[in-house]
Amino acid sequence: MAEIFDYLHGLHFGSVVIRLVLSLIAGGVVGFGRSRRDRAAGFRTYMLISLGAATAVVLTLFQYEMLGSAWADAVEAIGDFKYDASRLAGAAVTGIGFLGAAIILRIAHQQVSGLTTATGLFATVCMGAAAGAGFVELVLIATLITVLVLNVMAPLEGMFKRRLRNSTLNVEFDSVESIETIVEVMRSRDAMIYDVDIEQTEERDGRHPSAIFVVQLSRQKPSHSGMLSAVAELPCVYSVQELIS
Amino acid sequence: MLSIFDGLRTLSGWSVLLRMALACVLSALIGLERSMRNRPAGFRTHVLVCTAAATAALTSQYLLEILHLKSDVSRISAQVISGLGFIGAGTIIVTRKMSIKGLTTAAGLWTTGIIGLAIGSGYYELGVLATAFVLIIETVLGKLGSKIRVRPQFTVEILYNEKTSLDQVLRHCKDHHLLIENLKIHSLDGGDAAYCAEVTLRGNVPPETLIDSVHKMPGIVSAVCL
Repeated sequence: MAEIFDYLHGLHFGSVVIRLVLSLIAGGVVGFGRSRRDRAAGFRTYMLISLGAATAVVLTLFQYEMLGSAWADAVEAIGDFKYDASRLAGAAVTGIGFLGAAIILRIAHQQVSGLTTATGLFATVCMGAAAGAGFVELVLIATLITVLVLNVMAPLEGMFKRRLRNSTLNVEFDSVESIETIVEVMRSRDAMIYDVDIEQTEERDGRHPSAIFVVQLSRQKPSHSGMLSAVAELPCVYSVQELIS
Repeated sequence: MLSIFDGLRTLSGWSVLLRMALACVLSALIGLERSMRNRPAGFRTHVLVCTAAATAALTSQYLLEILHLKSDVSRISAQVISGLGFIGAGTIIVTRKMSIKGLTTAAGLWTTGIIGLAIGSGYYELGVLATAFVLIIETVLGKLGSKIRVRPQFTVEILYNEKTSLDQVLRHCKDHHLLIENLKIHSLDGGDAAYCAEVTLRGNVPPETLIDSVHKMPGIVSAVCL
């Protein structure tokens, strides 16, 4: 086992092929789990990014070897020469950070989408870099953890959220004065109101005044739909929507 | 590393010509595949990115090898990698339905740039190898990607009179492992029903089956899939 790792830590043609293949596997495994969830990034995207990062790091190692062979004369002529072996991998991380920023969207009512995809790509670029460096042990562990977090934790988080007593409601009503009535209804169900964020104070562009309420439902009345119905029943309320992120 | 390329690792007229030509050819292969699918970044974009990256890598090698300047050979290449991240971010489009398009193109462009850097630095085998992998990903796995089944999301509009009816519907959804992604209730003035609920669900139950069972519940006026 140790010999296999030793072989992979050296820079030969064979180990380079294995490193690139390893980066593809790592990217593919992470991407495959994600693309089942109808997301922007298919598993090809993850593989391409992982491959790119691995290529960049292998290139760094190549340049480092060149400094001792083909470029040795120049290095000697310069004297005090420094080479930063982490620079390409560092830039890869920054570059994919930008890509990630482009896919994070602010959708309506103070919610964001694409954050998990962006962080998944970010994790992939880091794994690709590790694969390129030949750090096989780390790649295997990191891939395993990333897949666990992205795929196994997602349903767990969903289960957890459904049991949660916290609820974020977007309510449309006739005028700002109605907020008081809405708050009273929420209090009558023993809910704690953490935050009321008024989005719009009057009728504009065919949209009713609206506010976002962040509440914690009481232990006795934990029903989310019960709260929604109670608010929707008010004559001053046009619509109520629970925001589930 | 393969020793047959050893004579071409240093800068000379021939090695520069070979590197630029190879960068052109490899990126053209990747770009052609994209062009054939009529993607935004086609043939010319990929060739430009790859040859420009090779030029940058050659320049930094020139600074070190010929001019003997005290410069870090990887710095210019590193900026190419983060710079291409910016360009990639620009190719990403948000459609009207708030979904993302162009991310695979951006990733492909980014990887093509890194291949250009490898070729420009004189690591021919790496450039060729990475290109081969990109082509495999794009062609073979592209077909596989379209076969992955995604759990469909759908929205159901339910008109009802009694508060308890909605609770019943939601409990039914939970029992059938449908994930409630969004829930919106309007109160209606007049008409047959008092309330209208729009429920966005995700799961493997067909919308028709759900609507059929919802119709049978007491207090439900109508249920339709939007």
